[in-house]
Amino acid sequence: MSDPMVRLEGVCKGYGEGERRVEVLRDLDMEIGRGEMVAVVGPSGVGKSTLLHLIGLLDRPDAGSIELDGVPVASLGPAERAALRNRLIGFVFQFHYLLDELDARDNVALPLRIGGRSRREARERAGALLERVGLSGRAHHYPDELSGGEQQRVAVARALAMGPGILLADEPTGNLDRESAEKVFSLIRELHLKEGLTSVIVTHNEGLASRCDRVVRLDPASTVTHV
Amino acid sequence: MPVEFALAARYLLGLGRRTHVATVTAISLVGLTLGVLALVVTLALLEGFQSTIRGELVRLSAHARVSAASGRLLGDPDGLARRLQESLGDATVEEVVTGSCLVAGPGGTVPARLVGRSDVEGVAADRVLAARLAVGPGDTVRVLSPRTRLTPLGPVPVRAGLEIGEVIPREPGAGEGGVLVAPLAVVQRILWGRPAVEALELRDPADPWHLAARVREALGDRRGSLRVEGIGDLHRPLFLALALERAMLFLAVGLMLVVAALNLLCNVAMVAAGKRRDLAVLSGLGMAPARVRRLFLGLGVMIGAAATALGAGLGAGLAMVLDRTGALPLPRGVFAVTAVPFRVQPVTVAVVMVFSLILATLAAWLPARTVARREPAEGLRYE
Repeated sequence: MSDPMVRLEGVCKGYGEGERRVEVLRDLDMEIGRGEMVAVVGPSGVGKSTLLHLIGLLDRPDAGSIELDGVPVASLGPAERAALRNRLIGFVFQFHYLLDELDARDNVALPLRIGGRSRREARERAGALLERVGLSGRAHHYPDELSGGEQQRVAVARALAMGPGILLADEPTGNLDRESAEKVFSLIRELHLKEGLTSVIVTHNEGLASRCDRVVRLDPASTVTHV
Repeated sequence: MPVEFALAARYLLGLGRRTHVATVTAISLVGLTLGVLALVVTLALLEGFQSTIRGELVRLSAHARVSAASGRLLGDPDGLARRLQESLGDATVEEVVTGSCLVAGPGGTVPARLVGRSDVEGVAADRVLAARLAVGPGDTVRVLSPRTRLTPLGPVPVRAGLEIGEVIPREPGAGEGGVLVAPLAVVQRILWGRPAVEALELRDPADPWHLAARVREALGDRRGSLRVEGIGDLHRPLFLALALERAMLFLAVGLMLVVAALNLLCNVAMVAAGKRRDLAVLSGLGMAPARVRRLFLGLGVMIGAAATALGAGLGAGLAMVLDRTGALPLPRGVFAVTAVPFRVQPVTVAVVMVFSLILATLAAWLPARTVARREPAEGLRYE
């Protein structure tokens, strides 16, 4: 791949110390092209979420290098990493992870406010995004007043608030019923195409994974199989 | 408002929905409020008593004293008194001479301080001396001077009989011995045998605390040979004791605030633990560690500011009500005032508020710093 959006080379990551240490990712190489939608599948504990956290700059690898949009991220300080996350990456987690104290619109506006936009501008953009995910009528509802599917759609709108280049979704449908899961995945797929995103989706759902451009299967030895 | 402070405010307002955190926050708030209230009321009480003492000093003591820098008698005291009287306008200038003596009365013979003043017409004994000698108005005491006169039998102390005209209250900070005040000419005769003046004492009830500075200015070129003491210099040990009392009480009651601040620290740490997932999400959305730190610092400071404002307001209000209503009476005749006095000084309240806010900020800083140092993924792994 000549100019990948995401490049990992020799990435290692483990947790714990001494005898309790568990190596989760070992010498992992991976490239994800621009505009590609990749599903990451594999058994529990194999390091799928860890991989997503490393790509999303939420964690640092023990060894190896990561490049996002051509930027080697190893040398970046905490503030620069945060700024890059805000500008380049959108996250959707398995559980919606919306802030309970904010209504749907303010939750979507949050990345924009963190990115320095004014409150008014952020709310306007958040309102437009909620409309795109079909929740304009729920803008003033708090997370506990929304259904699971609606919460996840708000989370998708929040992930897209800054117009990111990369969308990272960690089992975005894992906590939803079949119908809601289908709706959320279709929404992600639609926005991926319309926004020209590079998407990495961790999922246990083989059916949804097969609808992605490529499936990357992780096994406990961190061997990557491209399907 | 930056988003981190807006979020801190939302967290604070939204705490009511989470019972355990809301309870601990309420305890932190009440603790800090009570600490500030206690400090404000205690300092108002102290200031009330101390201002009463200062008022008595102003009423009974000289406001400035001019003596020879050499410690000897004043040269040309009349000329100097005239000059100061002309320069200082409303201030009164009196010539004074003092010395030690023995005073004998029905109760025995005791050492005393003999004070001669140009503004005094009769003889007055202070309460301590009158009690020791068992004398009152109309009784005569015998004064033995340290000055001697030569007789055929050799040198003998100069003696004089003085009739007590009145018994006066003791001057604050007068020391342990008794004081006998008499007309200047009488004391000059007893102590010196000639019209000697030891010092000039000045009073200006309109501006007692700055009189010494005005005297120094009025003395001009004679300043070098003279020693000018203000009311603060004349009663330095007393003022030092009052200042020390104030500082020690501030520290002692301030410890309550420290304990309340530690409680706040626990509260912020607890909220931080409860919000671990939110913090990971905020980091995931691009909030830099410094801003995460500011979020929790803001949370602590908001609790601290609310408690400080509440405590200061309630404390000042309570002190003023207690002072105006005289709700805490004192035994008559024992104290110079009839009820416990409170005096709220804005500067003191401001110092207490700043102290409280600093403590709240420090208390919030530690958990805020710890939270900001975490890798965002840590919060997500725990979920």
